Amino acid sequence: MKLNQRIFWGLIIIIPLLFSGLGCKKFLDRKPLTATLDDLNQGALEGTVLNLYNILRGWGGFSSLPWVDFHSIRDDDAQKGSDASDGREINTEFETFQYTKDDWAPNTYWNDHFLMINTANNAIYSAQSSNLTDEASLRNVGEACFFMAYAYFELVKTYGDVPLINFPILKPTDAIQPKSPASRIYEFIDSNLQVATQYLPLTTLDYGNAYPGRLTKGAANSLWAQTYLFRQDWARVIALCNEVISSSQYSLAPEFSDIWREGLQGAGKNGPESIWEMNADVGQNAVSNSAVYNGTQWGTCQQVRRNGAPIEWNLGWGWNTPTDKLVNAWPDDDPRKAKTILYSGQFDGGPALGGHGATLPAYTNPDGTGGLAQKYWNKKLYTGNDPEMRNFTGFVNNNGDAGWINHRILRYADVILMLAEAANESGDGATAAANLELIRNRASGNLGPSRTIVPVIPFQDQGQMRTAIKNERRWEFAMEGYRFYDLVRWGDAISELSSLGYTNRCRFYPIPQQAITLSGGVLEQNPEWQ
Amino acid sequence: MKCFQTAAPKPSQSKVLLVMKLTMLMMLFFTLNVAANGFGQDRISMRVKKTEISGVLRSIEEQTNYRFLYNNDLEDIHEKVSLNVKDAGISDVMNLLLGRTNLLYQLMNDNLIVIKEDPNAPVEVVVRGKVTGEGGTPLLGASVQVKGTTTGTSTNVEGNFSLTVADANVTLVISSVGYDVQEVALAGKTEVNVSLVLSTKVMDQVVVIGYGTASKRDLTGSIVKVSGKEVADKPNTNPISSLQGKVAGLSVVNNGTPGAQPDIRIRGTVSIGQVHPLYVVDGIFNDNIDYLNPNDIESIEILKDPSSLAIFGVKGATGVIAITTKRAKAGQVTVNLNTSYGFKKLVDKIKMANADEFKILFDEERINNGFTDPYDYSGLDANTDWIDAVTQTGNFSANNLSVSGSSERNRFNFGLGYTFDEGIIRHEKLERLTVSLGDELKINKFIKLGINLNASRQDNPYDAIGISSGFNVLDAARKVIPLISPGTKNFYVKNPYGTDSLNMDIYSALDVGLQAAGVINPLVKLENEWDKTVNREYRTVGNVYVEVNFLKYFTFRPTWYADVSNLNKRVYTPLYYSYDPRTLVPSLESQKTSVVEDDKTWRKFQQDYILTFKRNFGDHGVTATAGFTTFYFGNFNRTGRSSQAGGPTALPIPDDERFWYITNGFQDPSATSANSDQSEYSTVSYLARALYNYKNKYFLNASFRDDASSRLPEVNRHQQFWAIGAAWDISKEDFMQSQQIFDFLKLKGSVGVLGNQTASRLDGTPLNYPFYPNLNTGSNAVFGTNVYTAADPEYIPNPDLKWETVEAWEVGVELNAFQNRLHFEANYYNRTTNDLMTYVDRSALGLKNKLVNGGSLRNWGEEFSATWRQDFDRDLRLDIAGNITFMDNEVLSLSEDIPTGVLSRGFFNNASAESRTVPGMPIGSFFGYVVEGIYQSYAEILASPIASSIGAYAPGDFKFKDINGPDGKGPDGKITTDDETFIGNPTPDFMYGVSLSLTYKGFNLSVDGNGVYGNEIFRTWGSLESPFQRVNYSGDKINRWHGPGTSNWVPIVSQEHRFNYNGSTYNIEDGSYFRIRNIQLGYNFDRNLVSKWKIRDLRLFVNVQNAKTWKNNYGYTAEYGGDATAFGYDNAGGAIPMTTTFGLNVTF
Repeated sequence: MKLNQRIFWGLIIIIPLLFSGLGCKKFLDRKPLTATLDDLNQGALEGTVLNLYNILRGWGGFSSLPWVDFHSIRDDDAQKGSDASDGREINTEFETFQYTKDDWAPNTYWNDHFLMINTANNAIYSAQSSNLTDEASLRNVGEACFFMAYAYFELVKTYGDVPLINFPILKPTDAIQPKSPASRIYEFIDSNLQVATQYLPLTTLDYGNAYPGRLTKGAANSLWAQTYLFRQDWARVIALCNEVISSSQYSLAPEFSDIWREGLQGAGKNGPESIWEMNADVGQNAVSNSAVYNGTQWGTCQQVRRNGAPIEWNLGWGWNTPTDKLVNAWPDDDPRKAKTILYSGQFDGGPALGGHGATLPAYTNPDGTGGLAQKYWNKKLYTGNDPEMRNFTGFVNNNGDAGWINHRILRYADVILMLAEAANESGDGATAAANLELIRNRASGNLGPSRTIVPVIPFQDQGQMRTAIKNERRWEFAMEGYRFYDLVRWGDAISELSSLGYTNRCRFYPIPQQAITLSGGVLEQNPEWQ
Repeated sequence: MKCFQTAAPKPSQSKVLLVMKLTMLMMLFFTLNVAANGFGQDRISMRVKKTEISGVLRSIEEQTNYRFLYNNDLEDIHEKVSLNVKDAGISDVMNLLLGRTNLLYQLMNDNLIVIKEDPNAPVEVVVRGKVTGEGGTPLLGASVQVKGTTTGTSTNVEGNFSLTVADANVTLVISSVGYDVQEVALAGKTEVNVSLVLSTKVMDQVVVIGYGTASKRDLTGSIVKVSGKEVADKPNTNPISSLQGKVAGLSVVNNGTPGAQPDIRIRGTVSIGQVHPLYVVDGIFNDNIDYLNPNDIESIEILKDPSSLAIFGVKGATGVIAITTKRAKAGQVTVNLNTSYGFKKLVDKIKMANADEFKILFDEERINNGFTDPYDYSGLDANTDWIDAVTQTGNFSANNLSVSGSSERNRFNFGLGYTFDEGIIRHEKLERLTVSLGDELKINKFIKLGINLNASRQDNPYDAIGISSGFNVLDAARKVIPLISPGTKNFYVKNPYGTDSLNMDIYSALDVGLQAAGVINPLVKLENEWDKTVNREYRTVGNVYVEVNFLKYFTFRPTWYADVSNLNKRVYTPLYYSYDPRTLVPSLESQKTSVVEDDKTWRKFQQDYILTFKRNFGDHGVTATAGFTTFYFGNFNRTGRSSQAGGPTALPIPDDERFWYITNGFQDPSATSANSDQSEYSTVSYLARALYNYKNKYFLNASFRDDASSRLPEVNRHQQFWAIGAAWDISKEDFMQSQQIFDFLKLKGSVGVLGNQTASRLDGTPLNYPFYPNLNTGSNAVFGTNVYTAADPEYIPNPDLKWETVEAWEVGVELNAFQNRLHFEANYYNRTTNDLMTYVDRSALGLKNKLVNGGSLRNWGEEFSATWRQDFDRDLRLDIAGNITFMDNEVLSLSEDIPTGVLSRGFFNNASAESRTVPGMPIGSFFGYVVEGIYQSYAEILASPIASSIGAYAPGDFKFKDINGPDGKGPDGKITTDDETFIGNPTPDFMYGVSLSLTYKGFNLSVDGNGVYGNEIFRTWGSLESPFQRVNYSGDKINRWHGPGTSNWVPIVSQEHRFNYNGSTYNIEDGSYFRIRNIQLGYNFDRNLVSKWKIRDLRLFVNVQNAKTWKNNYGYTAEYGGDATAFGYDNAGGAIPMTTTFGLNVTF
């Protein structure tokens, strides 16, 4: 009994003491059994910047339906596509200009851009607070600044005045900011692109061999030129375009269709004409191996939709298709037309015209009962639908998907046409005509000045050249999402789009109600949409 | 203690002796003070041990001038005593020496002291005896008291006691917690064996209180005990399901999936995070009790109030359900066989459009949307009730065998169970095998060693509700249009696994033009895949303890617990065809076979070191507990997948269970991958509790716990929780003795601070490292074909994170009246949760989510429960029980980090189905527009407030009510988002349960019912399905608006009219219901009759569960659970079957 007493009194006292004194802290100090941001140390900046590319690829506001809605479906040459019942609200919201303040697509578009902005702010802040000034870190800062400018440029085009968030959000309430005027947003874009052009490398090889498609100085200069084009600051557009051209990093692809080729193991991506692409990769057998799926919805959402057609035509969701207006207005003798528009019920033209040697099922009705629901499809994306790639990744029949297709965001042809437009507007007709000819000659298949199709357009007067350049942008960039903002920029939106329901206030989309609600009213609706 | 004297102890007189010691001590101090005035001058100092009094007297004679005169035949003069005095007067010494004897002394002249026997001394008697309880179990610690005195003792481990009483004619009062008090008149006997009878009075129950047990009488809180018998014979694989309606304050929302956990909340929704209670099974903390066999349960206690819960510290706020599993009873070997069989039927089916109705509605919708050509229905000629097509009559069977026995030193019990539980969805089946083992070995009088083990093997049902696959069969079924055939057609097709061709029965695909996205024929998937899953769970939960009794009043009990469990799930995807209903061309649904293997392992370790002191000091009763405990939880999950597309050179993975592993020899090496997730957390805690009573009349309970948890940053790691409770048993007061109504009347109250370690995402998924956000997996940057991991934290961490606390108090009354026929209990409770741990979603600002502390929430209500027992005669007895809980919930404030003060959870179409948590309103209140009617015409639209800011609208669309403008000052003549308002509360105003039991001879009929009142349900189906999907119309759509005056409630059928896809009162339904939960008729055979077959007890019964429900909503049921901030949504699931079972219970 005595011994028992001693043992157990001892136990009572010793065991807890042992725990609290020696083992307790260790027992309670637990960190996750996977890496957190803290564990990445100096890699955190690189990791955060890489996440900006991830956001660009993976989030709807950049590479899926919302982007397509805002950029392409809104214009007169593209329409929602798909079939009659799928996404009918998009007809209302984006084709007939009855903008809504609360729907999935517009909400996502807004949210995702601010996600990119906040992530970029975090990257810049982490570089500043750790005083990182080595070359690689500064390059990271340049990339973050580029993404910041890219997101804000999209926002200012879409909404006009938007809140300016130029600091990291440490407390969620910090994110509640009133709108800043568009001019202030443009100033901020300029300051970011200033940094980006300073730190970004000339070629992706400066990052190492394994970074094709990563941001370069050329991308920053091209984006900057675009922003000045929207502000009609022609001199700066000319200077920036010339800087891109004189860097000798880019050239027009000899064959127009090749721009959109997507072959096995990335062949055809990040080609000579590409200044910046959203990169995606879908590995072998990715259909059942999520570990090698790093795809995007960009290609999937624009491939042919099966509806009542045989299952092998289950290629995607079938959004963003050409309108009758585009098909009728575009002269047939422009070879780009057959490389941009894919016709239901017809041979796809084979490799010479960006096809794969298949014949499409016929268009039946808008429901697609027994066949396809659209007469025309976006062939620029179809070109990327390489059957070899489908078999390689396993996305066939019921698993239709085309996640491997890169989004060509900035291409050299745009730099050439921006230069042409800015030159013409500043009275340099010769430069304008010369640059326009570069694009037209390539469009013809490089037949040279004596060709009869897509013929040379000599400069006559500024107005004639302006019309020619506008037309050239329409054909060259058809279905690529340039036209709506071009029409607004040119002041042509009313004449071209009013038959669809466009009015002047439609140049800006209303700010999503959710963001206004969440700000507690600090953020105010665009006055034209109150 | 300067002076310490003990008489040679007789066995088991310790209690009296201790009392004596104290008395002596007091006497001594007193006499020392007066010693100078006493007689005699000689001071005495001496120290003797176990010496006869006569010997001591001799020593005194040697030391002093005193002389003693006595008769050496006196028995008591040879008593042995121990004495230790210093400088004491003679009278003190004499008192010490003779105090325990029947001897008197007288100091004569000349220092002569005469010692003689006291002629008036009562004859002291030593009474010995044994106290046993139910089944002859020796009762430890039973109190044995001489009536009307403070003299008493308590029984030892063997139930034995020995007490010296003044004479052999006193009456002993014997009591033990959980038993009726018994009085025994000695009437000259010195040997009494008392067998106590288990108390049937609620206030005398022994209840589990966490780290110990106590009599309900001694407690100041609210604990409800439910006997294991209540759950054993009910057809539920999850025992908690059977508690519905039984306990005031306990809300149970059931669902129909075999084995699935119900949504359980005790006294309301106390958090934005975790709301389910803590389960404590024989001491071990757990999140669920899915592994327990209902037949192994001895009792279930529901702990609700602060004074019961504070001892659970950081896990106590959501309430505790404590489960005690069965232990062997003392006595003979018992073999019990329990078996039941029954079937389940779908009741209250939801109504969907049939083929004709679908065509009417769809054709009309096309016209509404501007289509001029009629839809081509060729090939679509079926009229299928898809809900019938996917449901079955399920079988249920539960079989249990238990063996228990005990001997002097050992108690042993063993249980074996097999349960077979089919759901109402085809092929939905759960099988469970359970083994339980318990043994307690008495090493000696002081030390006991015990072990308990519960192990189970469970084959989980096919995931028919889409927990992991997203494939919810019932939901998929009601979406399919009735024009699709549910049958198969025979086709001659290529064997997908071989090179030959063969005939196959193939199910129909859907009409791809109509139902392509998000809708599938559930039969195609179900019939081809249900038997391709192996989902087996092994759980082993057990503990080992040592119980040491020492220093008479102390018990030290260290216990080591473990729950080491594993789930292995392998899902094989086969190759199968479906055919196009229009072209009758079969095609493979997928070209690929694959295997996904999930291995989940979790480990929980807990150790408790509990020291208990229990003693009565006269009128004072004290039970004090102190302890130290640690808890560890770790889960380690791995998922691997492999697939094979087949092809010219490769074979698909065969449809053979042999090969359903990641590496199966057929897999494509490039399509094999693995990933894992794992996390741990731990807590270290100190606890203390005191239960005190004075004369069993006034009670005081106090408890304290300090918790430190690995989930918090070091600065905030420790947190303290406490509670104090008091109670007054008025019926013990003198002034109550004359009345005849109340047998027992107790007032009680308690107050305390509880904790909730509710670090979780908004949907309730726990976060084990809230301070360290995970990096999102799959966030990769791609450059060409090179892939780099990006750093993308899941949310913004909060360096000041701390636990939620709940300030709780309650007051209540408990009473028994009318000869204990009525038991009544009423409580008022109030619980305020502070520092709500909130996962804030800020995606609309492009922000990561953030975990913040802030805001508070209040739950309050009243609980009433009553039972009435009426014995009409020996054969006929009636028991009636009822309970009702009125509950209120209000959000008092929310974190400042939520600028609008709104925590919104939205589902379906841009979050149209919205729950808002906002100050001043109940948690998770439904939010949306108020439907005033339907716009009948353009004229009506023109005459009404303009609503275009919400979207385009036309006749046939909802007419929303103008409630508010941007200034918040009432109607502004415009319908805008400002007109959204609170349209429903998912928390009932009150919930109630009734039960009735009638016993006549061997027959017993019991009927249980339960219901809730005053809550709302948000129905999402039949109105808010994705407009991207074509789904079958709900039955009520036949009454839609289709022209002026046709309907003022059901809008025009059109997916294009997005205006009607706003959440509104159209979706809100009354959630009140009443259900006959159980009807049971049983018959117990006469013992005399069955004893001929060597059977002790034989019972037959039939039970009907969910016999009938009265409800007011369209769904399968009125019960819809959810998480803390979003619950009460009817997503076309939750069907609860009616189950009829027949059972047999035999005891040998």
